[in-house]
Parts: sequence; C-alpha cells; structure tokens
Amino acid sequence: MPTPLITIRDLRVSFHGLPALRGIDLDVAPGEAVGLVGESGCGKSVTWLAALGLLPRTATVTGSVRLGDRELLGAPPSTLDRVRGGRIAMIFQDPATALNPVKRVGVQVAEALRLHRDLHGGAADAEVLRLFDQVGIPDARRRVHIYPHEMSGGQNQRVMIAMALAGQPELLVADEPTTALDATIQAQILDLLRRLQQETGMALVLISHDLGVVAEMCRRVCVMYAGRIIEQAPSDALFAHPRHPYTTGLLAALPDMVGPKRRLEAIPGGVPEPWNMPPGCAFAPRCAHATAACDAAIPGFVPTGPEHVAACIHVESLAMVPA
Amino acid sequence: MSLLSLDGVSRVYATRRGLFGRPVPVRAVDHVSFSVAPGRTLGIVGESGCGKSTTGRVALGIERPSEGHVMFEGAPMPAPGTPGWRHMRARLQLVHQDPLGAMDRRLTVAAQVEEPLEIHGIGDKTERRDRVAALLRDVGLRADLAQRHPHELSGGQRQRAVLARALATDPALLVADEPVSALDVSIQAQVINMLTDLQEARGIAMLFISHDLKVVRQISHEVAVMYLGRVVEQGDPEAIFADPLHPYSRALVSAIPVPGPRRIERVVLTGDPPNPADRPSGCAFHPRCPVAVAACAQVVPELRHAADGRLVACHLVPEASLLKAA
Repeated sequence: MPTPLITIRDLRVSFHGLPALRGIDLDVAPGEAVGLVGESGCGKSVTWLAALGLLPRTATVTGSVRLGDRELLGAPPSTLDRVRGGRIAMIFQDPATALNPVKRVGVQVAEALRLHRDLHGGAADAEVLRLFDQVGIPDARRRVHIYPHEMSGGQNQRVMIAMALAGQPELLVADEPTTALDATIQAQILDLLRRLQQETGMALVLISHDLGVVAEMCRRVCVMYAGRIIEQAPSDALFAHPRHPYTTGLLAALPDMVGPKRRLEAIPGGVPEPWNMPPGCAFAPRCAHATAACDAAIPGFVPTGPEHVAACIHVESLAMVPA
Repeated sequence: MSLLSLDGVSRVYATRRGLFGRPVPVRAVDHVSFSVAPGRTLGIVGESGCGKSTTGRVALGIERPSEGHVMFEGAPMPAPGTPGWRHMRARLQLVHQDPLGAMDRRLTVAAQVEEPLEIHGIGDKTERRDRVAALLRDVGLRADLAQRHPHELSGGQRQRAVLARALATDPALLVADEPVSALDVSIQAQVINMLTDLQEARGIAMLFISHDLKVVRQISHEVAVMYLGRVVEQGDPEAIFADPLHPYSRALVSAIPVPGPRRIERVVLTGDPPNPADRPSGCAFHPRCPVAVAACAQVVPELRHAADGRLVACHLVPEASLLKAA
C-alpha cells in the first residue's frame, strides 16, 4: 500500500462513559475508494465525525488520526478549520438540512471558495459556475441564484458535492449520500461521485448501510459491528467469500434481485446495547458458531486471503464448512 | 374471486401555486385498476410522488376516489366515517413505515393491541387478554414486553407490536406502506419472514407498497410499477425484475445497486421525476425516456397485454394480440 493519506489508530469514542467506538484502525490511501458498511449504531459515521472533531463535547475521543504527518485529534481549531472542507470534505444524507435555507445556493458555494481558496468577486463567481457544471446541474447560470427549497433532493445533493469540491479536497467522506434519494436519482449521484473521483484523483470514503451501493463504488470494504471493524477485504472477495459470520449473515439476510427466491436467513436478536457489551466478540450472542472461547477476549484480525482479514477466532474452522 | 379491486381509480387534489394562485388539479392517482386475491400479495413499487401511498389510502377507503370504483369483499367501499366503513375497517388494516408515529406513547404495548378489540366489541375482558397474548406470540414478541411503552422497544420490536395490533381484528387485507424501510437489514429479514409466515397461516391478502425492489420481489406474487400516478407495468415479479419491458421499469430495475455482476445494463435517466402538478403530455415518462418517439408526447399509452401476459403501458412495446396476428 502506498503511503496512506489518513491513518487512524485505536480510535475510541464514548458518550457519557458508554462506548460508541471501540478501537478502529483504518488507513486510506490517496485516490482510493473505501466503503464502510454496517447497521445503525455500529459507529460508521462516528468514526469520521470523531476524526474531524465534529462530535459534541460530551464525547470522549482517544487514539490517533493522522493526516499525512499531522495529528488531527486535539489539534487547535485553526488547524481543523483548514483541514475540514479543505483537505477533507464531508457530505451527508440529507442535503436539505445541510444547506442554509435562507441563502442562495451559489452564495453558499462561493463562501466555501472564499474560506478555502481565497477566491473573491468575479473569480469566485466563475468558479461557482464551473463547479455547478462539473456536478451536472443544468442551467447553472440561473440555478446559482435560487434557494435550496426550489431544488429537488438530487439537485441539492449536487450543490453539496459542488461545495465539497470547492476546497479541492484530497478526501471526500460521503455519509449515506444517496439514502434519502429515489433509486434513479441515486444512480445519477453515484455515477457523478465515480466520475469526480476519476477526474480529481481524490480519495473517497463511502459510509452506507447498503451493501449494493458499497459493492459498486468501492474497491475495498470494511464491515463494522458494535463499534469495531470486523472484516476488511477487497469488494469482490468480500461479497463472493465473506468470512466473518456477521458479514455472511448480513448477505444472507438481504433479498436478491435475481436468481431463485429463497427464504431470508434473518440474524436472530439485535445489536448489543452500549451498556451491555459482551466481554469478547460483540457478535457472539447472535452467532450460530459461537463457543465459550468467543467470550474470552475481543478477537483480533485473522488473515484469510490477499488483503482480507476477519476478526473471528473460528474463521479457519468455518472455512472448512461448505457455505 | 378477488378480495379487493380497484377499477379505473383516480384521486385528484387541488393545490395552489403560491399564496394567491389559482387552484391547480393534481392527479396523484390516475386510472389505476388492479385486484388482489385472498392470501396473495400485490407489490406496488415506484419513486416519491408516484402515487403508491395514495393508492393504498384509496384501497383502505380512507380516501374516496375522485373517479372509478373500489370493491371490497364483493361490495362497494362505503364512504369514510360512515358506520358501514367503520365496520369494514376491522377487515382492512394499515401498517406504515414509522411504528413510533403509529403508536400512542403513553399506552403499553398490550393496551394498544387490545384497543381495536374494544373498539370493534370483540370478546369480553378475559378473552381479550388471552387474544392479546396470542397475538404478541404470533409476531414474536416476548410476553414481558407487553407491559412496556413504545420508547422502551427497538425499531423491530415496535413494528412487530404495530403488526400485532393490525392483526387483532383478524383482517382479510393488510395494506403495508414501506413497513420495513426504517429497519436494519438483519431486522428487516426477521420482519419479512414473519409477514410471509403470517400470510401463510392466516390467508391474509397484502397490498405491499415499497420503494425497495428487492423486498417487493421477496414478498409479492404480483407487482405493479407506478410512475406519476399511473401503473406502467404489472405482472409476475420474476418476469418484470429479470426483463422489464417498460423503459421506466427498466431504468428503475437497472438502478438498484447489487453486489456482483449486473444482469441488466444500467440506464441512467437524465433529469428529475416531474412534478405531478405539471404532468407532461402524452406518456408522462417521455421527457426522461431514452427511447421516446414523437407519438409519446401526444398520446397517453394504455396498459395492454404484452407477449408474456404482463401489462405494459408503452407505445413501443408490441401488444400481444398484434404479435399473434403478424
């Protein structure tokens, strides 16, 4: 792997003493697309909110997040202000609440250009138009003057992406960027993100609950469960040969679009509450393969293939069982 | 015989453009016809604003159709609010996306499941208590959860409680509007399996409304794809999702991200779904359609039988009878 753009080590977050993130190690290389998948509350969003210092003060954050050779955790606000929206940009699920409802969309993008690239006046206006064109907003010259409520959800998300690109980021963190959008509009936005990544060479971290979205967009995928990464692999390998019982369970629980119809294999139970975390593997209480040994300690990564690791002590014996 | 049938149903609302604008009619549902047989599931798919939820409300009798007829168990749907309609509502139940919004936060789960039994005067106090316990068992809720309040349950448990309440009056038809969309994948699978099991055990018919094509395929015996108030394709889910004939169904099916190689080449549509208040002429899909011809802008295509028996509303899909003649 080339020198990572961002290096996260043992990142832990807790709210009022309850753990939300329980030790994340993750590298993102320049230009690569990494997917983070998992169900509600697994910590996929908290990871990046913590890394960028966007969590409320009630959160306790420990560990290390390095951007190049600079530590971001505990960095002064002036440093973070240059990183956020500059070197790392983030877009969210609901563009309508992320945009300012009483400001014209062009003005909001121009503000990002002023803050991060010191562009003013005519230069900024010209760059706003170029960005609107780049993100595929038709009739840009007119659209820069309208308000968020006058645009559709898909167009608002394009404005958010334009604003994210304004700082020419090296990394775009997209947190469920298409979850609130209709299927055909989701396809448009994913297409756009893929094209922009090729054009600008920026890295992309895609946070999603939708395994299909991540499979299509990312070369590498991390599966999270109860505040930890439990499996990490190239997309093709992960979806063809999942190794962690939770990943296998997630894929079996998902209805298919093609092929013979089968009964869904639901994972029994629910995710553990933060105040009731199992002592060892957090998935053990729901896992069909769990043994007493699973409760002994939090399992570390076991290599299971090229660039493929799974945090399960039974991974080798499970490989013998035909799927 | 069909349990529920809609015949040429339209629902028109009046909206104003701006504060002092003239009222503009909006056809949320436009000439929709279908029927649901006992024990079967009709899935309705489409994007925001396609009229799928309004169709569900008309099917429940909560809203009167502006045109056309709704028949339930062989009789016309009574007007909402009438004693006849209230009586019928025991046979027709709704489950929607947000279980917390559908529940009374001050009442325990058991009290909420019992409420419809009281309203419809079913059983005495002891019988009702036994029935509530049986219902909670049927939907897989532990007995100790009966005395909890909605905020003390997880999302999946709440949706099970809402289902128990909907099943209390032993309905013949369940209208389920995005019932699993707010749930995580592993919980969603639990609820989907439960719905299919309950359908098998009780012979309930379902109108299953969802934007999630994978879930609809899993649960439906028949599927209708809607666009801007009209059904554009209807038939066997296997046939439609494997080889959609209407250009919109094709774009919709191809837009679903799937792990692994895709079977249908992706069609990325340009533009946004149009405003129902500003419906394009002819085929409402023509401004976004990659294969539209001149006639599409002028003539509204009717639903016709295509070669394999499914219904398609597109000028470019040949009609079955014409194929046979040729």
